[in-house]
Amino acid sequence: MENMKNPDTALLRIENLHAKVAGKEILNGLSLTVERGEVHAIMGPNGSGKSTLASVLAGRPGYEVTQGRVSFEGRDLLSLPPEERARAGLFLGFQYPVEIPGVNNVYLLKAALNAQRKTRGLPEVDAFEFLTLVREKMKLMRMEDSFLSRGVNEGFSGGEKKRNEILQMLVLEPQLAILDETDSGLDIDALKIVAAGVNSLRSPERACVLVTHYQRLLDYIVPDQVHVLIRGRIVKSGDKSLALELERRGYDWVAGAAA
Amino acid sequence: MSALAHRIVEESTAAGFAGPAGARRRAAAAALGSVGLPTSRDENWKYASLRPLERQNFTPAPRGVTITAAVLPAPITGFARYVFVDGHFAPALSAAPGAGFAALAAAETPPAAAAAVGGDARFALLNAAFAQDGAQLKLGRGENARAEVVFVAASEAAVGASYPRLEIELAEGAQLELIERHLGAGEVAAFVNSALTVQLDRGAQLRHTRLQDLPARALSFDTLSAELHDGSAYRLLGVATGAQSARSTLLARLAGEGAGIDMALAALGEAAQVQDAYARIEHVARNTRTEQLFRGIAADRARVAFNGKVVVDAGAAGTDSRQSLRGLLAGSQAEIDVRPQLEIYTDDVRCSHGATAGKLDDAMLFYLLSRGLEPATAQRLLKWAFLADAFARIEIPDLRRQIEARLAGALHDGALKELL
Ligand SMILES: Nc1ncnc2c1ncn2[C@@H]1O[C@H](COP(=O)(O)OP(=O)(O)OP(=O)(O)O)[C@@H](O)[C@H]1O
Ligand SMILES: [Mg+2]
Repeated sequence: MENMKNPDTALLRIENLHAKVAGKEILNGLSLTVERGEVHAIMGPNGSGKSTLASVLAGRPGYEVTQGRVSFEGRDLLSLPPEERARAGLFLGFQYPVEIPGVNNVYLLKAALNAQRKTRGLPEVDAFEFLTLVREKMKLMRMEDSFLSRGVNEGFSGGEKKRNEILQMLVLEPQLAILDETDSGLDIDALKIVAAGVNSLRSPERACVLVTHYQRLLDYIVPDQVHVLIRGRIVKSGDKSLALELERRGYDWVAGAAA
Repeated sequence: MSALAHRIVEESTAAGFAGPAGARRRAAAAALGSVGLPTSRDENWKYASLRPLERQNFTPAPRGVTITAAVLPAPITGFARYVFVDGHFAPALSAAPGAGFAALAAAETPPAAAAAVGGDARFALLNAAFAQDGAQLKLGRGENARAEVVFVAASEAAVGASYPRLEIELAEGAQLELIERHLGAGEVAAFVNSALTVQLDRGAQLRHTRLQDLPARALSFDTLSAELHDGSAYRLLGVATGAQSARSTLLARLAGEGAGIDMALAALGEAAQVQDAYARIEHVARNTRTEQLFRGIAADRARVAFNGKVVVDAGAAGTDSRQSLRGLLAGSQAEIDVRPQLEIYTDDVRCSHGATAGKLDDAMLFYLLSRGLEPATAQRLLKWAFLADAFARIEIPDLRRQIEARLAGALHDGALKELL
């Protein structure tokens, strides 16, 4: 029968998404499907709408979806408030992580983990076990213990902020991580550390969307698909070699071909 | 004389206070009668909620109302505790008495020094007219003590008013660490009018934490007058969270060379609460210092106001004064007003002030939500963070835990903290 379709097995399915910011249409019919176990990279010129897409998916206020739909694990993502999206397993690594002086980094980590556990019907994490877990992840991110008791991102260098995003991701173990230019501003060693962090979470269950300007990241985190986002829609998709081609030829040839 | 002032004089006469103290009380009532209580037309009283005074019963609440010890907060390690119920000393609830304390019976209550500090101290006159027992903490040269004075409001305003009274006198080089609390026995709609006086002699040091956490229907007025002599130091942290409507009046005179006051005030208003505070600091002597910090949060329909006035007299060369006043609006119908004021009569001063009023930062809020936190939790975290500058000054661990538990609620994570 018509309404007995197979359930949607994709982790994330975006169909014909249109979204406005401050009255201006930024996403313009964007479609993208991410299956479990996959890594997707999104590349595109400045201002093309990559961060807007990430914000719309995470539920940032001020973004008006005018058309289209997004399903996450078969649920209507856009109908959920941001905190429920996070607890359902969506994680956004911010392009510009905000500093929150006075809110302790480790308190936030624990509150975030407990919020997620509560949704899954699990009891609050034991303080000792929690710290053991966090310290192990921090070691992986080569972060010193002192970062725990500092304010969230307060006075962190650009690269430290990005590592802190990945630390949060490692503690929360999301189903889908959207990492918005997590590689920007990282030194060569930090890039490898962050890549190792992301790779450590790869599994047949989870998926990752990397927004990046540099194909170098993709040497360390090898994507299954690479997409080019221009003027609010995906105009070309391919495998890893597309990133190399973009690096050589820039965006004009894709834009030209798409127009 | 206004009808209100007239009634105050009548009630004071009707109370039939005896002896010389009685005469002084009637004199205080008469003095108040001639100046009247402030009205919202008076400068510095715009934000206070004064209307309910017209219906107020000023006669003191009766002695002997019993409360259970459960009303009292957990004791603070190393501190003597003195408890007053509706302004009457309750020795049975007090513990570990230490040096310098005396409970002054009504007859011994000294006359008001309030007239000296001008029109903003009119509520101190009201206190002088009706106060019952007073607490006195008097330390001799070089002595030191740690004390907690708990004022419990237990009677409904209709039954009688509560007049907490505390006098602090520190002789040369004495040091006092003081916790002053105002709270209620149950959800009583109490009327509380407190008066505090502080005298710091040469080199004396007072660390003072005052916590106003009265019940949600209480009405509170308090007046603190401090006089600081040479090289003395007064460090004050005030946290106002309670009462339907509260007005704090803080008056300090830096009368001796090198004296310094460091005050941090935090005020939280929710629902339809009013939290109003006015501080007037007068630099009289040379090389005196003021450090003033205010952090106020107004949520829901609350009104939070702070007016911080610093006056530098002609003789107060070398004055150093800094004010940092910040308000946070956390409700579309809330109101916040923070106002620094400077009056300077000499050239040789360093005065700085900053005042801001803003809203919870949307980007910060979204960041926390994007990590899965409940909106209420995220807001509470950000409010707590906003107050962090003020609370950084709490040096007593037991007290810090209590304040965190009260304000940060579930976010208070002692277990985690101890492991770090
Ligand atoms: N609040 C806003 N008001 C007006 N315009 C906005 C707002 N937010 C985003 N835009 C515009 O939307 C467009 C897309 O921005 P977005 O941040 O998504 O780009 P991006 O692809 O992430 O770029 P970059 O590579 O530089 O990070 C830009 O032109 C930007 O100026
Ligand atoms: Mg961007």
